[in-house]
Amino acid sequence: MGSREALEVVRPKVVALVGNPNCGKTTLFNALTGSSYKIANYPGVTVEKKEGVLTLDDSSEITLYDLPGTYSLQGSSVDEQIVTDILAGKIRSSGKPDLVVAVVDGTNLERNLFLVSELIDAEIPILLAVNMMDSAERAGLKIYNELLAKTLDIAIVPIVAKANKGLSELKMQIQESLALPRVSRCKNEWLPSTSDLTEKNDDGTPDPLTIAAMGSLRYDWIKGIVSRCTTSSQMPERASYEALDRLLTSKLFGLPIMIGLFAFIFQAIFMWAQLPMEMISFSVDTLSSFVRSTLPAGVLTSLLSEGIIPGVGNVIVFVPQIAILFLFLGILEDCGYLSRAAFLLDNFMRRVGLQGRSFIPLLSSFACAVPGILSTRSIPSRSDRLATIMIAPLMSCSARLPVYAVLIAAFIPNTFVGGFLSLKGLVLLSMYLLGIVAACAIAWILKKAFLWREQSFYVMEMPPLRLPVARVVLRGVYDSILSFLKNATTIILACSIVIWFLASYPKPDADFKGNAVQASFAGQLGMLLEPVIKPLGFNWEIGFAIIASFPAREVFVTGLSTVYNVGDDSEDQQGIISYLKEKNSDGTFTTLTALSLMVFYVFSCQCMSTLAVCKRETGSWAWTVGMFTYMTLLAYLASLTVYQVGSRFL
Amino acid sequence: MFENKDKALASIKVGETVVVSEVKACPPDLLRRLVAMGLVAGSKLTVTQRGLFGSPINVKLFGSILSLRSTEASLVQVHPV
Repeated sequence: MGSREALEVVRPKVVALVGNPNCGKTTLFNALTGSSYKIANYPGVTVEKKEGVLTLDDSSEITLYDLPGTYSLQGSSVDEQIVTDILAGKIRSSGKPDLVVAVVDGTNLERNLFLVSELIDAEIPILLAVNMMDSAERAGLKIYNELLAKTLDIAIVPIVAKANKGLSELKMQIQESLALPRVSRCKNEWLPSTSDLTEKNDDGTPDPLTIAAMGSLRYDWIKGIVSRCTTSSQMPERASYEALDRLLTSKLFGLPIMIGLFAFIFQAIFMWAQLPMEMISFSVDTLSSFVRSTLPAGVLTSLLSEGIIPGVGNVIVFVPQIAILFLFLGILEDCGYLSRAAFLLDNFMRRVGLQGRSFIPLLSSFACAVPGILSTRSIPSRSDRLATIMIAPLMSCSARLPVYAVLIAAFIPNTFVGGFLSLKGLVLLSMYLLGIVAACAIAWILKKAFLWREQSFYVMEMPPLRLPVARVVLRGVYDSILSFLKNATTIILACSIVIWFLASYPKPDADFKGNAVQASFAGQLGMLLEPVIKPLGFNWEIGFAIIASFPAREVFVTGLSTVYNVGDDSEDQQGIISYLKEKNSDGTFTTLTALSLMVFYVFSCQCMSTLAVCKRETGSWAWTVGMFTYMTLLAYLASLTVYQVGSRFL
Repeated sequence: MFENKDKALASIKVGETVVVSEVKACPPDLLRRLVAMGLVAGSKLTVTQRGLFGSPINVKLFGSILSLRSTEASLVQVHPV
């Protein structure tokens, strides 16, 4: 194996995994590449591009793509079009794949072979990986692989991706197929030779009758092959999950179970995360005072102990809550429950102008609107997709969690409603609900006012219920914590430094009385804003924190901590929560202000990444500016209402 | 043999198994998706679940479950096995 010494530079071969959604393609990708993959976006569109390195037995390395799941090369969603374009070599930066591994679900050969037959027609060199052979066997299905391979004129490897079975055979076959690339001779075999069917009318418009007729012919061909190459002995299907599925989607119990489940998750986010959060917070405070007491006093020490450490620390503190949220979301997604939730909610979603499919993007937006907006690309109807993008940032994301968490911890008493429901958890839940209700209203208005002309449809596959795979779920939690921390160490670090600077300079004159921050740039900015936000119950400190958190909401906590702590000559760096508690008891920062502020953060569009991704995904400044404007207006009006109505009655 | 025994999939009860006769004309994007999912003449399917007010409607088709709204299900004409 002296090939490594060879000096010539060869472009690594590109192999793409293609298959239907839920065929186990991503599990296979992870198993083949280990954890070495990287995620980027395709140029121009934000469809996730997953790329990894696969080392073959002859120690040659090839590039492996995990393409988005698709049912057909003629699909209408952005996701499906990307696959079609890549396979056609139309995306320059990606290069046309040298080989396609078509991953098919062995328990559903017919539907999966539809895409395979389109790949054959497109004269793409493919090999077939028949996945979930274990489930197929359990369901009493026997697949004659040699016969199937001969009939389709392509190589076939049976695998069980989640149990790492058949992977070395697959690698060997990839190596072999790459050495001798060939296309199947079955091109257009499904089309009767006498037929002159084309999908277009004479005027170039697609003709529905021929689309249906051609689909039917293609499926007839596939059904013939499947019935020749498989035998199925009727075995009793495992009834347990089917009964559970019926219960979870039942008219009577479906919705109550779902609401209960989400209420439980919100309680857990608050209660389970408490201890680790206190520990992180304590360490940050300790580190901060350690730096202050050991380093000589000066600008650098001030920047470290009052700017950077508390700034980044105040955000890292929320890692436990984010981990819990993503853990539950990951479990629900991996076991197939999220599609059931989409089923339960479609009726309701349709009424407000959305659809069941909007549910998953919206749910992801509770973690972060950016992946939420990205996942709308699987919605095939453009108007539904736009409406979903526009309301996604109204879902309370994990960056709002720090804001809610600090304010709730400082202002909401630690009581239990009815003896077991924590009032803190309930307030948190109502912030989430407020965002949801507003989102429904906005979606309804959007559809009535702007998007009524466009068609909407909902046709979705329900993946089977199954036990979640720990590896997949934990990997998801790990990835999201990592990206959150990456955020904290870049954007938030930068913001911390800027905030510290604004709050520290210019230094007040020697005869200045009062809070030193008031004289700084931060103070001046806050004062400038104060007349506008006074009716909302906000003071200039809050005003500054709101401006500071424009790039990212979680910076609010840092901004407020800085503005309150920098001017204080008190010997200890105070935790922001205990400081706010004090302010509450002396009446300078009331519970009503806290509520008004939380409501402001439910609605306001304080997130640069969301606006950036909105611009990229909608391709339009109008929608992006529209998003920012409506959210800011909504935030102002809602806060105004809360504070003004509240101060009349409380 | 029988005249027009076709009914819309939207009117089929939970538990019944039927065969698709045709899919009515509809916008190409929707039609292509229905076709790709296997809703073509000759496919056998079983209605497994319906939501509140009868929509969405879930059908078992080949090895998987497909969820569609009653509006889409009314485009699919079916007949008894």
